[in-house]
Amino acid sequence: MGSETQNAPAVHVAAAAIPLAQPFSILVTICGETAVSEVRVDAIMPAHQHGLNYAPKVTAISDRLFRVDDMLFHMPGLWELQVNVDFNGRSVSYTSEIALK
Amino acid sequence: MKLWVTAASIVLTGAVRAEVLLSEDEIQKTLSFGPWPPIVQSDPSNRVSRDSRAITLGAALFNDPVLSVDGAFSCASCHDPEQAFATSEAQALGRVLLDRNTPSLRNLAGLRWYGWGGKSDNLWAASLHPIIEEQELAHSKESLKTAISESSYVSDYETIFGSIQVQEPELVLVNTAKTISAYLETLGTERTQFDDFRDALERRDLAAAANYPAAAQRGLQLFLGRGNCVLCHNGPRFSNNEFHDAGVPYFLNETEVDEGRFGGLNFLLSSAYTLDGDWSDDPDKKGAWAVRSVRRSHSDFGTFRTPSLRGVAETAPYMHDGSLIDLDAVIRHYSKIDAERLHADGEAILSALNLSEREIADLVAFLATLSKVP
Repeated sequence: MGSETQNAPAVHVAAAAIPLAQPFSILVTICGETAVSEVRVDAIMPAHQHGLNYAPKVTAISDRLFRVDDMLFHMPGLWELQVNVDFNGRSVSYTSEIALK
Repeated sequence: MKLWVTAASIVLTGAVRAEVLLSEDEIQKTLSFGPWPPIVQSDPSNRVSRDSRAITLGAALFNDPVLSVDGAFSCASCHDPEQAFATSEAQALGRVLLDRNTPSLRNLAGLRWYGWGGKSDNLWAASLHPIIEEQELAHSKESLKTAISESSYVSDYETIFGSIQVQEPELVLVNTAKTISAYLETLGTERTQFDDFRDALERRDLAAAANYPAAAQRGLQLFLGRGNCVLCHNGPRFSNNEFHDAGVPYFLNETEVDEGRFGGLNFLLSSAYTLDGDWSDDPDKKGAWAVRSVRRSHSDFGTFRTPSLRGVAETAPYMHDGSLIDLDAVIRHYSKIDAERLHADGEAILSALNLSEREIADLVAFLATLSKVP
């Protein structure tokens, strides 16, 4: 995922094939040594000016691996996945584009 | 003679190829509307889902006025089996003229939300509410228990659920609704001309696919492309089962509005009959994630659930208030949609399409092929 923050720890997202209008889950992996205090996940469709109809549920699997459930993309098109990670009180935003057919 | 045969072959071959008008990308998108019918799982929140005794009892109760407090109505009074389980009136006529159009009851198994405002997250709750709604069947829990106990259905009920006399009225209500739900799960639309086309494309049988009318293909191309219909009408049911502002006025009169999803969520979140509640028979609470995590927004006001387009030609009139008399009127509505009527803070997916007369006819031709008899 990309971030505008300089020297931000790398964040990777893994997902199986994303179904249209059906719930799915993703895994978020946060690299580096800095302690992670919280991970928040959301998504928007910039062209349509709307976001998710359901609040994603984030569960820590380990210190650096997080499972995100209750994701649902209800329209085809370009989605922007947004992940915010709190590192010791410093919040870093990451985004990634997902094209859903 | 030889020259004639050669020319005829060329024309025939060219015609077959020319009649599949879709691009490869459009073909791939078209495949997402099937296969049909879908495989439907048993409802784990309803212990009598797929139970043949419950289906039979549910069908009988659906058609019997015993489910209304004064014997005046049955479910079938508004959801007429002879009219695709809807009626031709713009708005449903219960004990008063209701605010919304009667939705068809086909293809309901396994949805995430039910009703125009999505006030139920399961089919047995959606079946339960009209039984006790004052403007509809108007039973109380107690009067329903009495009515079932004194009816000819009591032995069938007790065969499935045990002695009715020892059951609390609310349990009788829920059990009754679950038999209705078991019946409704069996109602589906049949395969259509569109499904034959879609499956032929999947088999790469272009000769068979070419039997699909050119007008319907052009309509499908608009549906997938410039019309943006597929943004909401997607998947095998042609619905994302979410809630949108379609630009239809939701003022009921000068002082009242139909709250749509906003009101549906208020109802849902105070309901005892959700997949997250104690009346669900599913210990794993499968599907309850939606009611737990659904977001509320001011822009929910006046949004309504995307209706399925399966069998759509059989269910006029259209929209949540039945204000559009036929499919031609629906297409013209979207063609000239008034963007000023859309939520200022809502999603930005609709704008006037300014379709030509042929494009309007093509979209209607496509939609007609989603019904058994176009």
